[in-house]
Amino acid sequence: MPDALRFAGLRKELRPLTLTTLLVAAVSMVIFGVIWTTGLTRGSVLYLIPVIIAATRWGIVSSLYAAAAGVLCSAFFFFPPLYSFRIRDPQEFINLILFVFVAILVSQLAGRLKGQLELSRRREIDMRDLYAFSRRLAVAFDVPDIQAAIEDHLTAAIQRRVVLFANARDDAATAAHRSGSALPQNVFAQIAAIEPDGTAKEKGIGATSVTATNGDIWLVRPVSPKSPEFGVVAINLGQPSKDNVDDMRVRVDNVLADATATLERLGIAQAINEARMRSQTDQLREALIGSVSHELRTPLASILGAATVLSSAPALAREPKLQALVSDVRTEAERLNDDIQNLIDATRISSNGVRPSIEWADPRDILDSALERCRKRLARHKLVLNLPQDLPLVHVDPVLVKQALVQIFDNAGKYSPPGTTITVAARARDGRMIMSVSDQGAGLTAAEQPQIWDRFARGERVATATSGSGLGLWIAKSFIAANGGKMNAVSDGPGKGTTMAIELPVAQAAVHPMESDSDE
Amino acid sequence: MSEPSPIVLIVDDEVQIRRFLRTGFELNGFVVHEAGTGTEAIRAATLRPIDIVIVDLGLPDMDGSEVVERIRSWSTVPIIVLSVRSTEAQKVRLLELGADDYVVKPFGIAELMARVRVALRRQSRAASGEPSVTVGPLTIDLAARAVTLNGQRLTLTPKEYRLLQVLAQHAGNVVTHQHLLKEVWGSIHMQDTHYLRIFVRKLRQKIEPTPDSPKILITELGVGYRLAHASEAENGSPAPVTVS
Repeated sequence: MPDALRFAGLRKELRPLTLTTLLVAAVSMVIFGVIWTTGLTRGSVLYLIPVIIAATRWGIVSSLYAAAAGVLCSAFFFFPPLYSFRIRDPQEFINLILFVFVAILVSQLAGRLKGQLELSRRREIDMRDLYAFSRRLAVAFDVPDIQAAIEDHLTAAIQRRVVLFANARDDAATAAHRSGSALPQNVFAQIAAIEPDGTAKEKGIGATSVTATNGDIWLVRPVSPKSPEFGVVAINLGQPSKDNVDDMRVRVDNVLADATATLERLGIAQAINEARMRSQTDQLREALIGSVSHELRTPLASILGAATVLSSAPALAREPKLQALVSDVRTEAERLNDDIQNLIDATRISSNGVRPSIEWADPRDILDSALERCRKRLARHKLVLNLPQDLPLVHVDPVLVKQALVQIFDNAGKYSPPGTTITVAARARDGRMIMSVSDQGAGLTAAEQPQIWDRFARGERVATATSGSGLGLWIAKSFIAANGGKMNAVSDGPGKGTTMAIELPVAQAAVHPMESDSDE
Repeated sequence: MSEPSPIVLIVDDEVQIRRFLRTGFELNGFVVHEAGTGTEAIRAATLRPIDIVIVDLGLPDMDGSEVVERIRSWSTVPIIVLSVRSTEAQKVRLLELGADDYVVKPFGIAELMARVRVALRRQSRAASGEPSVTVGPLTIDLAARAVTLNGQRLTLTPKEYRLLQVLAQHAGNVVTHQHLLKEVWGSIHMQDTHYLRIFVRKLRQKIEPTPDSPKILITELGVGYRLAHASEAENGSPAPVTVS
């Protein structure tokens, strides 16, 4: 044992020994007092008090010290010849033996009790950890959440750095990144040796320890030998002695057994597998929609372009029937293009690809540009604009807001009969800008009002009469949300028209712009 | 026709796109050259006199923006970019690289022809030094620094005139926010789009017959502003009813 350690051990004993000395001194004073006031001559049995206290509190060393000190004090102060350590009375020897016996017995009993207490305290912490662990698992949203929960639980329970690997091929780098710094190379090698079937290649050895170049010992083992889904853990044990490694192993085994039991009870293995499959399917679907819609647009550009060239060709101008056919090709191609745009937007939203580029924008410009875009679709409706002159600027991505408005105008045009009025209004109130579009069309039932914002939502009453993917309002809502705003729809009921409103935050302009309108 | 036919160079790797563009341009009296790659396009542009270039953004050998940059390094020929899908930031970048305009695929031939005519007119105006730009009822006389609406002389502040002047120099084409801010307020205000917004609102009150649905000073959301081309300002849609 190094000197430093021995010194530390001594220091640890110093406090109890000092306290014991003080106790013995105090008891001596009490005995003096008792002899003084009552005239009793045998008070030395009271020295058992420091012996018992020291034994229960501080263990065998202090209690033996207390016993010795007690015997010496009573010999010195209370037994003739007084003020000498010589002992004539055999009573004193019996006292000494009694003190020593009590010291050993009590300290042993107390030690065992303390051990049990410590154990049950440890057990209680473990149970609490496990409980917290299962609560966290219950709210885990996806596989990384579950893995982070497992990793954090093991780190808390073992009190060492724990890194969890879902599997070795998977992101070793990600796991390392998550835990701050890279792992030693041979730890990776060991993890790779355990993968991919989730069991150690050497059967029967649940865990292997690896010594890294810096001398740290790493314990590498699967979380559960039965369920490879939970992955493999690498635990940094630091640089402990041989005995400690074995202790740690037992501790790790216990913690992992408890954790695995919790994981199995909650059916996490199945959940992980399902989530993995689902996320792969999602990714595949997003990629497919993205590339398909992109690929669809190129031929569509040829179709639409060719149709417009045809309709402007002098040869066709003399053939009204053919002209109408070409016009159909064009209209339908345009509609297809809108649908593809919706698919692209929806893909962008679900892959979190909406990054608004925020700037100062005039809400009139946004409305105007959306109306311009929908001019053809709203040609048979009467448009009424109700825009105050002093509308504040908004700090948004004008293109996203415009696209949301286009979806709303599109809906208003689709679900209200030709000849009716569509009213567009904007006003600023309480730091918010509200733009609303009211039609005199199909309206919404109470049941429909919350549903219209869902992805692929289509009203049952209108599904057969009009075309659409049911993505429009969902896209609009997502775009507005990306700008820090919200949308709502109000209707007095079926057939009574709908008012769609967009609410956007109005930020304060830092400089009054007119100040700079001075002459050159 | 006494004037020679304008020559267009169409750069796109899709045969079908080239075919309809060729037919469309020929119907409108253009002489058409084609290129399927960026390298071919650059060679074609150096070998022959070209009046306008139509270039697709996605070419097999290089990005369309590179073609724009390379051609722009020695030539002022108008360039219009086609792209399947481009963000506003990409459009701004293309304009800054020297493209005159962009058209998002799919598009109608009429839309493209309108942009082409604007670009050609601007080019010929620059060549002949023609001093005035007319958009519907608005005339901007660049030589006399005078702006008239329906023949009535307008009183503009120097900054308002400067803004109109920059737009008129690019009449029909988009001018980016950054460019306008730099030209009118100076480069330290290049991020202050709110100056521009309020300013344009005021200017529209003076120059637009119906300021609530502007037909002359057009907003290109997320990119910039442009002056409408003459045909656009005249054949606009009926203005919506306005209640204030």
